[in-house]
Amino acid sequence: MNSKPFQSSLALHPLRAVRTDKPRGSVRSLTPSTKARRPTPLWYALWLPQLSQQPAIDGSQQVRLEQIAASLGSLSATVSIEAPDSFLFEVGSTLRYFGGIEKIRTRLHALLEPLLHSWTLPRHFHEAVSPTPAASLLLARAACNLLVYRKDNLRAALGRLPLHTLSLPERKKRQFHNSGLYILRDIWRLPSHAVAQRFGHAFTKQLEQSLGHVANPVQAYHGAPTFCSDLECTYAIENKQALLPGVETLLERLCLFLHKRELATMHLHMALVHEQQGRTEVEIMLRQPSRSYGHLQLLLETRLNAVALPAPVIAMQLRVTQFAPFSSHNATLSGVPGPQEPNADLNDLLPLLEQLQARLGNRAVRSIHCQDEHCPEQAGLDRPFGERMPKVIVAPSGAHEDAERPCWLLAKPIPLRQEAGRLFYYSSLRLLSGPERIETHWWSPQEIQRDYYVARNRQGMRLWIFHERQASSQHQARGWFLHGIFA
Amino acid sequence: MPTLDLNQRLRSLLDSPNLWRGSEHYLAATTKTSGHFPGLPTGFAALDASLPWRGWPANALVEIITPLWGTGELQLVLPLLRRISMAGKSALWFSPPCIPYAPALASAGVDIARMIIVTPPATEVLWGIEKALQDKACAVVLAWPGHLSGKHIRRLQLAALTGQTLGILFHHRNIRHSASVLRLHAQAEEDAMALTVLKARGSYRHDRIRLPWNCHE
Repeated sequence: MNSKPFQSSLALHPLRAVRTDKPRGSVRSLTPSTKARRPTPLWYALWLPQLSQQPAIDGSQQVRLEQIAASLGSLSATVSIEAPDSFLFEVGSTLRYFGGIEKIRTRLHALLEPLLHSWTLPRHFHEAVSPTPAASLLLARAACNLLVYRKDNLRAALGRLPLHTLSLPERKKRQFHNSGLYILRDIWRLPSHAVAQRFGHAFTKQLEQSLGHVANPVQAYHGAPTFCSDLECTYAIENKQALLPGVETLLERLCLFLHKRELATMHLHMALVHEQQGRTEVEIMLRQPSRSYGHLQLLLETRLNAVALPAPVIAMQLRVTQFAPFSSHNATLSGVPGPQEPNADLNDLLPLLEQLQARLGNRAVRSIHCQDEHCPEQAGLDRPFGERMPKVIVAPSGAHEDAERPCWLLAKPIPLRQEAGRLFYYSSLRLLSGPERIETHWWSPQEIQRDYYVARNRQGMRLWIFHERQASSQHQARGWFLHGIFA
Repeated sequence: MPTLDLNQRLRSLLDSPNLWRGSEHYLAATTKTSGHFPGLPTGFAALDASLPWRGWPANALVEIITPLWGTGELQLVLPLLRRISMAGKSALWFSPPCIPYAPALASAGVDIARMIIVTPPATEVLWGIEKALQDKACAVVLAWPGHLSGKHIRRLQLAALTGQTLGILFHHRNIRHSASVLRLHAQAEEDAMALTVLKARGSYRHDRIRLPWNCHE
């Protein structure tokens, strides 16, 4: 275990350094101060070079970073991941709660060492504390475990850092070396405008930030949100209608959660707990992220109505783990038509379609598509709504336009009765037009050679019939078949 | 003159607000004065002329009764589907006898992306139709519901009214005293489709119309 205590810069005792901000013996004002003193910010930086030196397989490095950041959340409200292998967290505000920096440090080691051990990584890491995030990071990455309490001391503490430890491009490091500049103090001896001119504004800004002269915002890490809410019923509920008030309470909590975080969800998981330890699980998938209370309530109620309850319900739980950022639709300026999105209108229809899917099943709601195919069975397709089509769907080519196609195409051609040279479907048929020969390529899986005719029977039905020109695998007999109806 | 006198007296009687006239009460007062009719054009001039709305009634239930499926009843609604899909509205088809053939609809000018087919189990058909009719985002519902009673039709008519949706039911049986706003009997003939207006709310005419095949716009 790395148990070297911090070297306090300029021999300041850490705790005393915080307390002696106000000189002892100064005359205290008699009126109580109304302004609460904000604690001076202190940034704890960690450098774990082993995280990037031993790259984890298939992107689990990000998972490790997030796991560490999540565990640092128990020490501070503001945690930031500094890719690829460092962390920053603010401890100035939690210093008093934990009882000093050394206590925080002990807790930190207790948190991180088991984690690093479980990944079979070296347990040693570098740390530094200073009033600015940039300076803490610089100190930690330079592997000097230093504690700086006051901004005034930063310049002195940073001055000893060798320039090659800064995260700078190799060319710039060589430039420093060639100019005879080895540590940061050498830079500070130069006039600042000359430094900016020679080494660029980005570099001087980095230095200013580390001294706290320029604001250095830190992007705080927020873990993936999860929503899980339970509700105990006051009595065992057998009637589904009686479940609804509870469901609505849970949904209200969920919608509040989503509104606060500007999120929407696509996947709800509802569990109904029964008396005999059993559970009924209900899952609801949405086609588009939503956070509308009315919509979610309608879907959940519809879905619950279709579920059979094996036993009375004593508790329920609503869990949501998958979220999407909330995005609202742009309304058009009144009177000015906006650019037409494809499926713009189906967006309005989605709540209805999802409700139908929730009760009837996904396969019951279908959309129809055209394909550029000669074979009539393949030219028109129907797929469950929302399913991605594997092929590019094209509008029917010109060849189809002159030839008429029936609105109903039978799933399977029906053989036609033939008597005394006449065809029958309900009554005898009269050919109106044809033939239209449709053949597919010999290499296609479904080989067809057919002559199509349009016929009419005495009932006035217009029929699309074909004559099979060769016995195929599908239809053993050559003969006449009904394939569609021009309804 | 006695005739003139009679005409004048008649007109004053007609102008009286106390007289209720069945043939006009369904149309809004503005329609009578402006000549703008609330119907959605059917695409067949002869049919438009014999309906009080000069087209399909908006926000209402229509029944089309045919002795068999496939006797041209879809030809009646294709112009409507083309019009609404081009206007960016959608139509839902509930349990059609076959899955509609996309190339045929596309060549008739219908935007097939706006046609959604719903094939529920037989016990859930009416539930689905009612939900779709109640939804304002859905412009037209075509449905082949199978057996229907007068009670069901009344309920669906109310749903169409709430959702401002045009519902078109296809079935085989003429249900007397049904609550639908328009009831048409369609019979295919050799060279034309023979339509009989069995009922149109706001009109006493029981016209017989012959629409030659392929006569729509």
